[in-house]
Amino acid sequence: MIDLSVNLAGIKLKNPTILASGIMGVSASSLKFVEENGAGAVTIKSIGPTDRTGHKNPTVLAFDNRMVNAVGLSNPGVDTEVHIVKEAHERLNVPLIVSIFADTIDNFAVVADKLLETHPKIIELNLSCPNTDNEFGKMFALDADDTRKVITLVKKVTQGTDIKIFTKLTPEEEDFAELGKVVEDAGADGITTINTIFSMNIDIYSRKPILSNAYGGISGPAIKPVGIESVYTLYETVSIPIIGMGGILTGEDAIEYIMAGATAVGIGSGVYYRGIDIFQKVTSEIEDFMKKEGYKSIEEMRGIAHNS
Amino acid sequence: MSIDHPLMLPIKNIVTESPNIKTFMFDYNFYAEPGQFCMIWIPGVDEKPFGIVKREGQDFMITVAAIGVATKALHQMKTGDKVGFRGPYGSSFTIPARRSSIALVAGGYGIASLGYLAEEARKRDVHVHLFLGARTKKDLLYLEWMKNIGVELHLSTDDGSEGYKGFNVDLFKKYVETNSKFKVQNSKFDMVYTVGPEIMEMKIAEICYAHHIPFEVSIERYMKCGFGLCGQCCVDPVGWRMCVEGPVIDGEKLKQITEFGKYHRTASGKVEKYPWAK
Repeated sequence: MIDLSVNLAGIKLKNPTILASGIMGVSASSLKFVEENGAGAVTIKSIGPTDRTGHKNPTVLAFDNRMVNAVGLSNPGVDTEVHIVKEAHERLNVPLIVSIFADTIDNFAVVADKLLETHPKIIELNLSCPNTDNEFGKMFALDADDTRKVITLVKKVTQGTDIKIFTKLTPEEEDFAELGKVVEDAGADGITTINTIFSMNIDIYSRKPILSNAYGGISGPAIKPVGIESVYTLYETVSIPIIGMGGILTGEDAIEYIMAGATAVGIGSGVYYRGIDIFQKVTSEIEDFMKKEGYKSIEEMRGIAHNS
Repeated sequence: MSIDHPLMLPIKNIVTESPNIKTFMFDYNFYAEPGQFCMIWIPGVDEKPFGIVKREGQDFMITVAAIGVATKALHQMKTGDKVGFRGPYGSSFTIPARRSSIALVAGGYGIASLGYLAEEARKRDVHVHLFLGARTKKDLLYLEWMKNIGVELHLSTDDGSEGYKGFNVDLFKKYVETNSKFKVQNSKFDMVYTVGPEIMEMKIAEICYAHHIPFEVSIERYMKCGFGLCGQCCVDPVGWRMCVEGPVIDGEKLKQITEFGKYHRTASGKVEKYPWAK
């Protein structure tokens, strides 16, 4: 009997596939639709302090091996999102990861505090979205000190609860391993990585950047080796669980992340490349591989690339 | 396969349909079915969804009312100017069976996607009734085209400047009720297709349910990616994406979309009730 379940910071997932933040998760209904397509857990689109329309179109572009997006953290704001999270908890059978962002360190705590009444299992701190305007200044996760402050403050807010704090990191920080250590020392319960990477596309006829925000984040198959390297590096330095993501399209991709050290894997752009049922497909491909290669559990494969 | 990042296409020809409506034509041939849509990028301005229209002798065109910033900017463009095309996206209308009888109920610009369907239907000797409603006579689009391909017109205008004075919903209802009363088999519609303001679509759906006529409706929701990734156009409670599972939805599936006719989501994802919804 093959066991596909994983234990993510004490939370059981029936399979290791997780819907990544920013994809589909606008409403309880869209999250439910992803659950019905086999996801082991789902992440709601990042929740911020106030209503944000996001950027004008074009916001998402797709190419053969990569996607580029700058949606701009659109969300109706935490006061409305509280109801969406509650509805999602009522309707979902799989765990919900609640992604949050803010414009200031203090506002991360404000958003987290308002969400307490929804009893989230996991709060994911989006410290690394490349798609925000100048109002957000520098990305939090490019500054170890800011990262530590956000985690410490949110941990204070969630003190006395069972809420696990995951931190979403970008590999663009120069000393990524060191940042991982900072995150772990600050008390985070897990790390989600990688986020999309800064990028741009210019239309050579109109001589203009295509995304309305000009800058965007690249995701998809093209960035998978970066994601694998990031997870591998973190696994060497931290002992908290890692949700690995970046270009996962197949069960083989997911296994590569698990062997690099990921406890679970995030899927985002893959929804474009393989359809909404990618969660089912990846899970069954993982199972096929395990059968063929004689693995009984995901646990047996985790981090084994480090043994050689 | 769709094109998922802007393909720059020069505007080949522009036809002024009415004071605020223009049709933009392109020399670009691709496979698309009636009911599908595309995203058109006006460089430096915005990118918006438009119904794909194809007709004999014309590869591809879109009909655009100058309403917002993007559509007004598009109206300023000239022949030869380039816009970015992505698509085709979404589900499509079921092509009617040969020699069947169908009704197209179009409100305002809804005729754009239904015009293409009318032409495909006429190629199959389908009897096509078009219940076209608009504010005034000059807002009635595609009349010459529809007449030329042999569509039976049922026109209505809000001000009575052409055809029946009132809504096309009333005209359609009267027609359906008369024919069901007299049980005139040949006049019964095998299928109804409707595109227009959601309140109109909702009323057409009610009539079709009451008279057991199968129908398909095109549901418009705020579009961002257009290819099923961002989740912006998902409907309650089923979560279907109106850019992939929709925009064309049949009457049976429509029963599961409880938000239809009641509310939609804004660009931020906030629920916004329709003014007429209780």
